[in-house]
Amino acid sequence: MLAARRALTRRRAALAALVPVLVLASCASDPAESASTTPRDGGTLVYATGDAEPSCLDPHVGGNYPQALISTHVLEPLVGRDADGEILPWLATAWEVSPDALTWDFTLADDVAFTDGTPFDAEAVKVNVAHLQDPATGSSTGYLALAKVAEVEVVDATHARFHLSEPDSALLESLSQQWTAIQSPAGIARGTEANCAAPVGTGPFVVESWTPQQQVDLVRNDDYTTVAPEAEHAGPAYLDRIVWRFIPDAATRYAALQSGEVHVIDNPQPDAVASAQAGGDITDIDAPRPGSVNRIELNSGQAPFDDVRVREAFIRAADVDPGIETLYAGTVTRSYSPLSSSEPLATSDDSLFGTDTDAANALLDAAGWTARDGDGYRTKDGARLTLRFPVSTNQSVAAEQSLFEQIQANARSVGFEVVITPLDLSGWYGALAADEYEIVSAPYTKVGPDVLRILYHSDGIIPAPSGYFANHAKITDPALDDALDRAAATTDPAERAALYAQAQQTVLEGFYLLPLYDQQNHFLSRGTTGIRTLHTVSTPTFLDTRLAS
Amino acid sequence: MNILRWGLGRVGAAALVAWVVTTVVFFALRIAGGDPTEAILGGPGSQAGEEAVAQARADYGLDKPLVVQYLVQMQRIVTLQLGDSYARKTPVAELVGAQLGSTMLLAVCALVLAWVIALTLATVATRAHGLAGRAVAATIQAGEVVATVVPHFWLGAVLILVFSSSLGWFPATSVGAAPAGLVLPVVTLAIPTAGFLGQVMRDGLAEAAASPFATTARARGASESRILWRHSLRHAALPAISLSGWSFGSLLSGAVVVESLFGRPGMGRLLLDATNARDVPVVVAVVLVVAVAYTVVMTVADGVERLVDPRPRGSARATDRPENRPTDSGTGSGARSSTDAPAEQSPRTEKAIV
Repeated sequence: MLAARRALTRRRAALAALVPVLVLASCASDPAESASTTPRDGGTLVYATGDAEPSCLDPHVGGNYPQALISTHVLEPLVGRDADGEILPWLATAWEVSPDALTWDFTLADDVAFTDGTPFDAEAVKVNVAHLQDPATGSSTGYLALAKVAEVEVVDATHARFHLSEPDSALLESLSQQWTAIQSPAGIARGTEANCAAPVGTGPFVVESWTPQQQVDLVRNDDYTTVAPEAEHAGPAYLDRIVWRFIPDAATRYAALQSGEVHVIDNPQPDAVASAQAGGDITDIDAPRPGSVNRIELNSGQAPFDDVRVREAFIRAADVDPGIETLYAGTVTRSYSPLSSSEPLATSDDSLFGTDTDAANALLDAAGWTARDGDGYRTKDGARLTLRFPVSTNQSVAAEQSLFEQIQANARSVGFEVVITPLDLSGWYGALAADEYEIVSAPYTKVGPDVLRILYHSDGIIPAPSGYFANHAKITDPALDDALDRAAATTDPAERAALYAQAQQTVLEGFYLLPLYDQQNHFLSRGTTGIRTLHTVSTPTFLDTRLAS
Repeated sequence: MNILRWGLGRVGAAALVAWVVTTVVFFALRIAGGDPTEAILGGPGSQAGEEAVAQARADYGLDKPLVVQYLVQMQRIVTLQLGDSYARKTPVAELVGAQLGSTMLLAVCALVLAWVIALTLATVATRAHGLAGRAVAATIQAGEVVATVVPHFWLGAVLILVFSSSLGWFPATSVGAAPAGLVLPVVTLAIPTAGFLGQVMRDGLAEAAASPFATTARARGASESRILWRHSLRHAALPAISLSGWSFGSLLSGAVVVESLFGRPGMGRLLLDATNARDVPVVVAVVLVVAVAYTVVMTVADGVERLVDPRPRGSARATDRPENRPTDSGTGSGARSSTDAPAEQSPRTEKAIV
């Protein structure tokens, strides 16, 4: 009896203790302990990334965004880019193209060394291009970007000459990407395993160690001499170290930012972005990735989307605006372009994407999808109007997956059956390679409008040996191919802009894709100053960053 | 002789389990779609050139028929040469070895905490009497049921929100053996197991308190505390011990979620990443290690059960082993009769317990 009473008392005490806890939990974080904003030199910045942990830190191997994020601190490319798309000097200080556009002469910075002591020179550039083009490296992104480079000639220590197999107006943009950044030839010579563990560059930080699944430790390069584009100061970085942690769960990353365990997080959830944008001690950096927007592509290579009327009907019925507004808590802007808003040559046409279910129904009737089955879906010759929609749960965040479910419901109202299949990344690529889709959302990051050629040129239907192909819309349009080919070959910026505008209008008017919004790339920071993102691949650089004391 | 046969039986069972799970996993990975070659060439969606793909397939034997690949994989397991990771190009044994300690620490801490919580609650619930006592017992019972079914990801998210974001008592992320970081993941992992073990123990304690040996002890003048600590707990612990082996398996699978949630390195995350990338050698190795760990813990649990169980070891034993299963506990009389049986049937047993 006594024991019971004691137990009950303890129970009550426990419950009483729980009440303030729950009350506290229910209100949002209190910025009471907001740090002072006086910046100081030195210190360790902790960055928590939600992107997949790379299997290799050398961005020449494969070539994905997580690699670009880390390598931004370690490796530097030949050129940079500003917000207007203007190419800026970096490791290359000047360049000149021959009249036939087949020879590019680069002048290189002459006082820069890799962090292993190897001098940066024309030989290093030659070794890097060879490394990217060597099948044993297993490069995808950098390999494709430099596909038109036949050879690099070492003129002298500070002059490298690129010989091209055909003109490439995207060469400088390709060379501005982290996936073609320059590494120490001595570092590359150590072999894949060593170079994957700690690539050696000229950047403001050096890879000290990598503890898989946990973190990469970066230390400052005290001998940093590069003049980096848009840098706010010359010489080494202010921070002593960067700890780059892998924390896959978005809510945990945000909690770690709020509790001060980390200073910067990427891939935040929309509500966290909205609350940062509303003010407080957390700062939001919105840096849309370059290249394509997030969009839904319609497979025009097979029925039913081989009929433009059916494609338009789907786009008129999808009605994505309300979903985008609510699911992303007002933090994203609807796009009507195939290209990212960070691409100066992007063109938009919102007149093609208005919701109109009456028009959609009329288009489907005209296309012969007139009958309805027991479930209310349209049919034609006994076949249901079904759209298979494989969704990559690694690439599409929760809000985007919810948006796809809304599209599914909206499309149903005019008689489409949308079958959403959530898949992991490998399974998803497998489904695309097997052509088992009618609609798909597949982001593609590349600096510059040349991404249009990769995504919509008919060459992009031919699969790579792994089965991958980039032209998911399966567009085969000779006029479009011609415009894209000429845009890639011209040396006249005005002609290039006009051709890419024409190409964008063609794919939009053909209802091959439903643009949604920029590839969301937000960084939330707390207790730091001087974080900026590159205008190339939109990764943050901490060269000018200081911690608040 | 008996112990030798028992040991051989255990090793045989472990080998069988290891063979079955690695075989299932090997083929399941290949059926799931996606191409392991891409793991070698920088990850899914690789656009590596023809030459690179051919070279990778040849280097890793992926150009051979699937059956041959399977036999090679089995040969690697038998000879304990687990090969290299497709994605990392480093030895699989190194990768798994680096993460084994972290996950085992997490799972063992969670199992210990689950036992402490379960024992405490079961004792309190059993010793509670009267109207208020019944209310306490009912609350504990309900709490245990809720704890058993609550998913790790939800529980972990709530704990992070309360104790990290709001109160700031514990970090939201966890690395290695740092005690502060270990608290929330261990609690997250332990609570569902504690609820489950608690139900089993509470049942056992209630039965023991009402059983003839307790009556005999009371008649001899033993205090309720003595009966509880010396006799009833021993009786009640048996099914819980035997279920701890099973629980450990569920703790290891729970670690996949908990490690990802708390950003904690470990085998669970290694498994998740390797599965996403179709890194076959790593997936097979992790599953193999988990299967072996599970079998070891089952064997230890079985051994401990034999030590704690005061009943004589004879041929009859096999039939009166407690056969509690989560669904049986607290509901069916079938589970009770099996644990009650020895005490009722054999005066010698009763004497041994008392």
